[in-house]
Amino acid sequence: MSGQVKDSPAGEPMTEAFLEVSDLHAGYGQARVLHGIGFSVGRGEICAILGPNGAGKTTTLRALSGMVKGRGSVTLDGTQLLGRLPEQTARLGVAHVPEGRGTFNDLTVEENLRVGAYLRHRRGRRARSERVAVAADLERVYGYFPKLRERSRQAAGSLSGGEQQMLAIGRALMLRPALLLLDEPSLGLAPLVTRELFRIVRTVNEEERTTVVVVEQNAQLALDIAHQAHVLESGRLVLSGPADQIRQDGQVAEVYLGISVQARKGG
Amino acid sequence: MSEFLQQVVEGVGAGSIYASLALALVLIHRFTGIVNFAQGELAMISTYVAWQLVASGMPFWLALPVTLAISFAGGMLIERLLIRPVEGAPELTIVIVTVGLFIFVNAAAGLIWSFTVKDFPQPFPEGSVALAGVDIGWSTLGVIGVVAVVMGLLYLLFQHTRTGLVMRAVAANPASARLSGIRMGRVLMLGWGLAATVGALSGVLVAPLLFLEPNMMGGALIYAFAAATLGGFDSPVGAVAGGLVVGVAETLAGAYVGFVGADLKIGVPLLIILVVLLVRPQGLFGRAAVERA
Ligand SMILES: Nc1ncnc2c1ncn2[C@@H]1O[C@H](COP(=O)(O)OP(=O)(O)OP(=O)(O)O)[C@@H](O)[C@H]1O
Ligand SMILES: [Mg+2]
Repeated sequence: MSGQVKDSPAGEPMTEAFLEVSDLHAGYGQARVLHGIGFSVGRGEICAILGPNGAGKTTTLRALSGMVKGRGSVTLDGTQLLGRLPEQTARLGVAHVPEGRGTFNDLTVEENLRVGAYLRHRRGRRARSERVAVAADLERVYGYFPKLRERSRQAAGSLSGGEQQMLAIGRALMLRPALLLLDEPSLGLAPLVTRELFRIVRTVNEEERTTVVVVEQNAQLALDIAHQAHVLESGRLVLSGPADQIRQDGQVAEVYLGISVQARKGG
Repeated sequence: MSEFLQQVVEGVGAGSIYASLALALVLIHRFTGIVNFAQGELAMISTYVAWQLVASGMPFWLALPVTLAISFAGGMLIERLLIRPVEGAPELTIVIVTVGLFIFVNAAAGLIWSFTVKDFPQPFPEGSVALAGVDIGWSTLGVIGVVAVVMGLLYLLFQHTRTGLVMRAVAANPASARLSGIRMGRVLMLGWGLAATVGALSGVLVAPLLFLEPNMMGGALIYAFAAATLGGFDSPVGAVAGGLVVGVAETLAGAYVGFVGADLKIGVPLLIILVVLLVRPQGLFGRAAVERA
């Protein structure tokens, strides 16, 4: 939103880029889905990835967190993410809320959140202070999502779809991530709940300086909170730029309609 | 009436042995989605280890925990060396590995200890105790007590420790567990280790009632399958409850249903399996699998 927003076409070195994706290829076995995409996200920014069904948005996030293999380069604060497994990228501070249900249904709500803090467990002298910090974060998540506090002893599987989505995001926040990957957080949510959820994502981003990459069908909502946005189509970026511009240009709609776009940037 | 109650208690005794073997099957099934056909044979070889320890002069009550510890390590080793390499392969491949393990362990036990039957020491005192007008053998009480203690410890592990929480998370949603930073390999090894441990318990407890020989667990494995099917292959609590029900049903059928007697008792678990699969395939405690599109 502010003037700090970085908008750099691929190739131009960006000093403040926190997440740097370049020439990323990924797919499933023989099926190739991403054909060399590149973008960068500044530290503390929110980046929205938009695009029609099947464009490869989910695959992009999966490649970032290590759920699918990718070729090319993805660096987080200078560290290469490609070639790592999900349990390893999590150690580097990547929290991925997968598409659909990311909850542990047999576990209670609170247990779900505690699993999210799994990597923050410490032994020895720091055990105590970290336990206190985790307890504080639990309160913070309950503060964001009061519904979760009410149901803290209930099995996650018995929550409504929207509550499960809140829980999945809460679980990711418990990691205190450096990079939060959100895949269609609005899926199956009532408009009011979605709006609230995006407001919370924005709050987390502002308060914690958490860098966020959000994939979303609801372009309007995503553009409202994002600094940067990229439109993905058939595994290629066709439009990149500051969220404000992309919203005003109205070209997003064109992309969704399949009309060929004079992409000003990216590609 | 007291005769009937006595049969029930005997059944609970037998049932707790089936319960621990069923629990071993369920533990592995929850984590890997496969049925470990070698579970009975692993229990058998653990029992030989216990026998060997006792034969070399170790008191039984020391040999038991040592055997369980060896079994735990053995189960972890099997996961690491045999199952890990085929991880991600079709389930049939993994099942065939367990069938291969079954054959190998059986032959190895025969080679090392021969196929002639051995006497396994009875760890519990002779005689019985009168409880509420029912005569219960010390051996039955002992079996029930030992299984109850081990189940209690497992319950504490799963419900009240961090390790248990992590294991339940992996069973519930492996993908999200990994995204939370949990290393699957360690959890799976732990699962196999625990399964081998409770399986070993069933072998050591059933051996004094039978004879020790390489094929001794065949019958118990069928009862354990019935128990796990009845309780639901994904429910540890169900496995235990299923084991008890199968044990009691078997004992009562043997005592009261004229034509069943001792010889046809093995038909009881098969009948239970058949009825459950027809009426409620997910078992009493299991959930029907709901596949999302
Ligand atoms: N597990 C998979 N195995 C094989 N192909 C897959 C798999 N997941 C996705 N694909 C294919 O990859 C392509 C891109 O899928 P992806 O899920 O990344 O799209 P998306 O942009 O997230 O779409 P949506 O908006 O519908 O979620 C699709 O053509 C899809 O068929
Ligand atoms: Mg998707």
